[in-house]
Amino acid sequence: MTNPRTIIEIRDGKKVFGSFTALTDINLSIRQGEILTLLGPSGCGKTTLMRLIAGFETLTSGAISIDGSDCAGTPPERRPVNMVFQRYALFPHLDVFENVAFGLKVKGMPKAEVKERVSRMLQIVQLDNFANRYIDEISGGQSQRVALARALVNGPKVLLLDEPLAALDLKIRQHMLAEMKRIHTETGATFVYVTHDQDEAMILSDRVVLMEKGRIVQIDRPEDMYARPKSLFAAKFLGETNLFDATVSAVNGIGTTAVTPAGIRFIGAETADRQPSERITVSIRPESLSFQDGEAATQSAEGTVEDVVFIGSRSFYTVRLDDQSPVRIQVQRNGRLALPSIGDRTRVYWDSANVVMLPHS
Amino acid sequence: MLLRIIVWAILAFLLVPLLIIILFSFHASPALSFPFAGFSLRWYEELFGNAQLASAVIKSLTIALLTALVTLLLGATASLAWLRFGRAGRGMIEALTVTPIALPGLFVGVSLLVLFAQSGTQLSTATIVIAHVVIAIPILIVAMKARLALFDPSLEEAARDLGASQMQTFARVTLPLIAPTLIASAILAFAVSFDEFVVTSFVAGTETTLPMYIWSMMRRTVTPLVNAISTLALFFSIAILVASWLIGQARRRSAIAGRLEQLEPLP
Repeated sequence: MTNPRTIIEIRDGKKVFGSFTALTDINLSIRQGEILTLLGPSGCGKTTLMRLIAGFETLTSGAISIDGSDCAGTPPERRPVNMVFQRYALFPHLDVFENVAFGLKVKGMPKAEVKERVSRMLQIVQLDNFANRYIDEISGGQSQRVALARALVNGPKVLLLDEPLAALDLKIRQHMLAEMKRIHTETGATFVYVTHDQDEAMILSDRVVLMEKGRIVQIDRPEDMYARPKSLFAAKFLGETNLFDATVSAVNGIGTTAVTPAGIRFIGAETADRQPSERITVSIRPESLSFQDGEAATQSAEGTVEDVVFIGSRSFYTVRLDDQSPVRIQVQRNGRLALPSIGDRTRVYWDSANVVMLPHS
Repeated sequence: MLLRIIVWAILAFLLVPLLIIILFSFHASPALSFPFAGFSLRWYEELFGNAQLASAVIKSLTIALLTALVTLLLGATASLAWLRFGRAGRGMIEALTVTPIALPGLFVGVSLLVLFAQSGTQLSTATIVIAHVVIAIPILIVAMKARLALFDPSLEEAARDLGASQMQTFARVTLPLIAPTLIASAILAFAVSFDEFVVTSFVAGTETTLPMYIWSMMRRTVTPLVNAISTLALFFSIAILVASWLIGQARRRSAIAGRLEQLEPLP
């Protein structure tokens, strides 16, 4: 089977709070077993979308179905999904074991079975030695794993994670990302992961749902979204990029040519839907620019090096092109290549495969 | 330096009368003045043989206990409403329940007396309890709200998400977490009721509570017995307040403590 089963389906979802439209035109199919990230700046509606799936909010219009059955009117406790809250929301009056056992106990599972399942889950999250600790006796990273275990022990069809790493510091965050992937592989559950952090989204996701102002703007694999953003918002939100306003001058079988007002010429490989004299924005990532005229790098512009920032294996150059627009260039350290210094005149090269043409904003 | 002197002066002003009363409750002679004529427990012995006093103490304890129970029930209900309401709702609860603190006891006493008279209610232990509840509720709510404001509503959502019904969520999460706060507040209500005098004197009818008994004793003559009663009452009140504070504090894992920790930046 090439198409994995759909586990959650949202059709024409719309959510209005008073006079504020939090979500509109939401159409989304979540596939069984994938890690799907809802990515966007704060206020884009990603958390609301997750709370709709969990059952804490109800749609103003549209429909959500989980595993084939419409869940309008189903309260949170009867939905086959579990949530990891942003600040974990662990029960402070219960120890780690009782926290994880909570869901099984309220469902009336026999004691012996609860003990067995909780113990197995604590092993998976590597907290078997902490079962009798209280929540105020464990670290942030451990709390995070308790929250994961407490949700996963119920065997949810979908695990919802609301910015689960936001409260952790950078080091633990990277460790937890790896943990999260491992736990995902081990449990085989579907993860829906809310974050505003593009790095987390890139590292973790099978697919990214990019959201802006209550709408879904693009759904893609992370690498595709990074390489082929479909809007200026997507290009700017994921990673760093250089942007140029340009006008399409020619469209033919091999690509589209666009020229900036100062005469810099960009040739893009794509031909779709572009009209001559259409205004567009050209996006090129810093790592797609180079000081060497490689085999494929067929286009170039001249400028003066303004700034160099050295960060270990890479350096970031700022070059002011002759049309006065500054561009950022990322260069890998390589002993064989001579690199320009501040104040040097230089030529910047790029390849048509890395030229992304976006609708003008 | 000056500041220090002022602080000590204020402390002396507050505490010296207490110390003098305690000292004279152990005085061997009935004189309420210096020179001090040696220690004795005679006034305490006399107290324990006083049947009228004993009945006043029992009356006060009964009333305080009933007041605490009724206040607890009403307070628990109010606190649940508090947790559910948003900012506007909370403001309204506060305005309605907390205002009586600002009313003079005289006014509360007279209005209750008029109310009972108009409605033909016989003055009794029950009317005293009603009056004490009126006084204790706002104090209870003030004591509770600061802690309840820290209750993390996502704990209830987490319970629902894990499969708990509304009733299960209340029984397994909300109640255990707010219980220490409720009990501490109820003890406070007990303490308020135990030594209330002004309003009680309006609605007591023929009943005699401990503060009223002490007052009536002093009206006849200031005897050293009063010192002994006051000393005992003082330590009883202190014990109650300490108990209330301990229950509030000792539960490190109450909703509040957990939440406070979560609010701090994580290491």
